[in-house]
Amino acid sequence: MSGTGPREAVFPTRMNLTLTKTRLKGAQTGHSLLAKKRDALTTRFRTILKKVDEAKRLMGRVLQLASFSLAEVTYTAGDIGYQVQESVRKASYTVQAKQENVSGVVLPAFDGVRSKDASDFNLTGLSRGGQQIQKCRDTYVKAVGTLVELASLQTAFTILDEVIRATNRRVNAIEHVVIPKLDNTIKYINSELDEMDREEFFRLKKVQGKKKRDAEKNDETRQGQNEDFRAQGGEVHRDEGIGGGVAGGADMLDEGKDEDVIF
Amino acid sequence: MEALGFNMSAGFLEDFRLQLSSTDYGNFLANEPLPLSTATIADKATEKLVSEFHYIRTNAVEPLATFMDYITYAYMIDNVILLTLGTLHERDTHELLERCHPLGVFDTMPALCVATNVEELYHSVLVETPLAPYFRDCLSAQDLDDLNIEIIRNSLYKSYLEDFHRFCQTLPAPTSEIMTRILAFEADRRTLNITINSFGTELSKDQRARLFPTIGRLYPEGNNALARADDVDAVIAAVDHIAEYKTFFDKAGVSSGGAGTGAEEASSSLEDEFFKHDVELNKQSFLQQFQYSVFYSLIKLKEQEVRNLTWIAECIAQDAKDRVNDYIPVF
Repeated sequence: MSGTGPREAVFPTRMNLTLTKTRLKGAQTGHSLLAKKRDALTTRFRTILKKVDEAKRLMGRVLQLASFSLAEVTYTAGDIGYQVQESVRKASYTVQAKQENVSGVVLPAFDGVRSKDASDFNLTGLSRGGQQIQKCRDTYVKAVGTLVELASLQTAFTILDEVIRATNRRVNAIEHVVIPKLDNTIKYINSELDEMDREEFFRLKKVQGKKKRDAEKNDETRQGQNEDFRAQGGEVHRDEGIGGGVAGGADMLDEGKDEDVIF
Repeated sequence: MEALGFNMSAGFLEDFRLQLSSTDYGNFLANEPLPLSTATIADKATEKLVSEFHYIRTNAVEPLATFMDYITYAYMIDNVILLTLGTLHERDTHELLERCHPLGVFDTMPALCVATNVEELYHSVLVETPLAPYFRDCLSAQDLDDLNIEIIRNSLYKSYLEDFHRFCQTLPAPTSEIMTRILAFEADRRTLNITINSFGTELSKDQRARLFPTIGRLYPEGNNALARADDVDAVIAAVDHIAEYKTFFDKAGVSSGGAGTGAEEASSSLEDEFFKHDVELNKQSFLQQFQYSVFYSLIKLKEQEVRNLTWIAECIAQDAKDRVNDYIPVF
């Protein structure tokens, strides 16, 4: 009997053995599938990590450039912040979200969309610095584009991280908890069944021995009676029976149906 | 006014302040808490400029007083436009008072904040401000609502330049001569800038032509040519007969046929060329005695100096040392 490790509380029957074996197979398949998923996700995760790194560096550069071009605007055109703020009527740069599927994980991806009529304040700085303002705006649009890309990557990064953790947890749980438990259960059922087999065998042997002894005793008594009868001058007839022979009467199985013997 | 003779090795804005303390600017940043921002530097420098201006203005007698008032009108236009913008978008205009240029502040300016709609604003501008004639000339209350704010600003500025020019003609000789030169350049610069900046925008040629001041060396035939110009090449052709302007375009490297991104790239340095020439003209007005234009030039040069300070501070703050020398030296 395997008393090592935890097992499921089942009766050690053959049916349960079959069931548990099926479950073990299922757990192994699941384990390999999850492991595959984990590997796929990790690969993706690494790529995204690399991209995030690149995007962050790029963002630093682009934003520096952008704020410097704003400094250029301030130099030529003065403070235009308020005018620009007030002349904006609707967003000229919008973000569209779409979904991307990576081994069953839905990752959001953002796309920056520059609207066509993005000329809300192109008269700002008409008499001075207009070109710088346009240039500055373009630089900032680029900067925002980088930010959107970074945001998309960053979100994917967080979500993937979480999913990878969950998957890892599941893989480990299956590997270290579920599969050993099922293994133990199978071992337990097997050993119990073996034990029962042995007991049964022993019992049968015992029954057989008893029967043999009884039959011999019976024979002896009958022999004795026959002797006595002959000595008194009687004659003993022996019933040959159908197919009976010399040993016919001695065969245990021919003595009739025995309740205790099932085969 | 002193040269910006400080050491470019100024690594931080604190060093920048230290360098400035030995110049005319003295301790203008002394009471500012660290860390300094470039905005603070610009504000404080402008404040100093304004206080100097007010000092002169207080001591001025006619006709210098009127002359100096005219100088402030340019800033007033900006301020009124700012308030108009606020009113149009139904913002609380009181907040905007702080954002107004201090040189353009006039006593009755807070009164403009009372106006809640454009109609009222238009009338209060007519009644309360010295800008009334400009408004009356080129705008109706209806226009304030419909036209792009930049167009309004430029029409007002056009009227202002013409009026200032007229006023300068009434002053005695050296002043009128020098001011004519300076104002002519200012007008031409605006004309050229408006033309170049309006390429590719919804500003129609008619509207564009109406924004051109009717003074300056380009007026009238140059203006007419510019009004029809479609690209930078046409602009170059229009200024062909004025040697100085032609050299600007040459220096700025606007090649013939250099449209598109090339033109954009070049026009920023064109702006620099304009600034340089502006500074040059203003410097020349110091060479003559017994005239008023020196006050105008002083303010303009000071303004340029403030811009330079801001630029240098910005370059230091943003760690762009290689661009730090791209300002227009004043003296």
